[in-house]
Amino acid sequence: MNVDALRTYIQNEILNDPEFVIEADQDLLLSETLNSLSVTMLIAHLETECNVHIPPEDVTLENFCTLQAIESYVRGLSESSS
Amino acid sequence: MFDFLIHSPVTHYAEKTPDHPALSFKGTELSYAELDTASNRLAHALIANGLQPGGRIGIYMHKGLELGVAIYGALKAGGIFVPLDPFMPTERLQFILNDCGIEHLVSADAMASNLAKLSGTFTGCIYGIDAEAGSKTLSWEQIGELPDAQPDVWIVDQDLAYIMYTSGSTGQPKGMMHSHHGSISYARWGAQHVGLTPTDRVASHAPLHFDLSIFDFFSTSQSGATVVLVPEPITKFAASWTEYIEQEQISVVFTVPFTLIEMLQRGAMEKRDLSSLRWVLFGGEPFPPKHLRAVMEKLPDVRFTNVYGPAEAPSCTCYDLPPFPEPFDEPVPIGTVSANSADLIVDDDDRECGIGEAGELCIRSSTLTKGYWNRPDLNERVYLYRESHGPFPDVYFRTGDLVVRHEDGLLRFLGRKDRMVKTRGHRVELDEVEAALATHAEVSEAAAFTVPDDLGSKAILAAVQLRDAATAEVGNLLQHARTKLPGYAVPRELIIVSEFPRTSSGKIDRKEIINQFLNTGKS
Repeated sequence: MNVDALRTYIQNEILNDPEFVIEADQDLLLSETLNSLSVTMLIAHLETECNVHIPPEDVTLENFCTLQAIESYVRGLSESSS
Repeated sequence: MFDFLIHSPVTHYAEKTPDHPALSFKGTELSYAELDTASNRLAHALIANGLQPGGRIGIYMHKGLELGVAIYGALKAGGIFVPLDPFMPTERLQFILNDCGIEHLVSADAMASNLAKLSGTFTGCIYGIDAEAGSKTLSWEQIGELPDAQPDVWIVDQDLAYIMYTSGSTGQPKGMMHSHHGSISYARWGAQHVGLTPTDRVASHAPLHFDLSIFDFFSTSQSGATVVLVPEPITKFAASWTEYIEQEQISVVFTVPFTLIEMLQRGAMEKRDLSSLRWVLFGGEPFPPKHLRAVMEKLPDVRFTNVYGPAEAPSCTCYDLPPFPEPFDEPVPIGTVSANSADLIVDDDDRECGIGEAGELCIRSSTLTKGYWNRPDLNERVYLYRESHGPFPDVYFRTGDLVVRHEDGLLRFLGRKDRMVKTRGHRVELDEVEAALATHAEVSEAAAFTVPDDLGSKAILAAVQLRDAATAEVGNLLQHARTKLPGYAVPRELIIVSEFPRTSSGKIDRKEIINQFLNTGKS
């Protein structure tokens, strides 16, 4: 899942606001774009869409702080499982 | 040991243990001596820019070492600090700045874009930023050149130390005033109850505008211990939070049940060494028993305390769970009143309730608020006066919480009398949510309500009825709500209805809306 697809999902499904601007390197937590509830929704979505398992210990700030970080983390998971 | 002001211990420990860390944040520290001198310098800056005793100082920044400097600098200048949620919408921020007449704002460069939105409306002085934001500004570098001795300011323990804003039913937040005396009472209660010592490392997990933070900062400094500030983003990730406990060797945590349930479910606790943790205090809302049991089983060497008390009367009751409790399915009691507090349970006619009778809990306590800033209307309603043995009546605060005392002497929390709810520890007036939605030009009426969420708390939902020919969609309405309400109060889901179900008296039937929602997933 690329950065654009992630952005669209967050805009449409989490924020319910397709116009909301999210930069690829924007801190999603400090800007309150994501909170703990929406992170949970996002994880469920990523697991389904990308066919990966995200273990609890990986749900960390480092892996989910920006769109780029999420994309890179999920890509790493997909590559290691393929 | 100390004198009577809440900031005095910092100076005491700056002399006694100058190099001991007072604050820790992501591996960096500020010692008691450094905190003392940095806060003295800020106090000089505030006074030089016109702050008088009793002047209000807004603290508007994310977690960081400067947060401690801001708190103690404001207090040492004889001022009253006002925590400002760095995430709140600009409109709400402007309301608070105006409501309590804030002319001094301690902030940070990271807040520059938010501060820019205040341009033209805030004309006071901003401290701790480099950029010009259309107001008078003073950087930390400039503040660092000021004298490092504590300024000579005359205040007494009846003077206010902080004003904390919380959700108000009229659609605007209300500010609770707390004195030095009340703050010290709360801080000393916490320090003594947990037996804090200088080696303790106490997490500051709650945001500053949440009353748990008063325990975090001031019980810790009463004891010469260390406050470990938890960065906000880490609080959103249970696995990062447990990692932080391990890295920072946190020994005491005061938080809300939601945080602990998240730790349990997503905190990867079995992969962390949490042996530094010795005491967990929780409060803010009831802890579902099955989750509490599970957390306690994961942390068998940790003591657990259920702390009850509205932000107006913090920690007025508490209940220590036994170290190895028998299996329990009933909600844990809120216990008995703390030292220097007294309770009175009254019915609708203000008659005292007996054992087993449910009624509103009223509290008389040394931690009690001095009332709401600028709200004489509310201050008339929230106190209950009872004849005492002396010439003056006893003054109780009406908590709005329904409780019952059982034969065992312990109080049980039953619910609220009004429409205030707790969602993941945050206090929200549903009337405020409705008022915010109703300010949208196309909304005719709004109804906010809660349903249980999957983490033992409540989720806020809302339904709105639009005016004729309105074109607003759910996204527009939620976006509007975000400009009026703090994030935690914005409804998780919003439904547009063609017509509200009504009671026989014509009021919106919220119970029916909830039933419809729970049965069908929509109204």
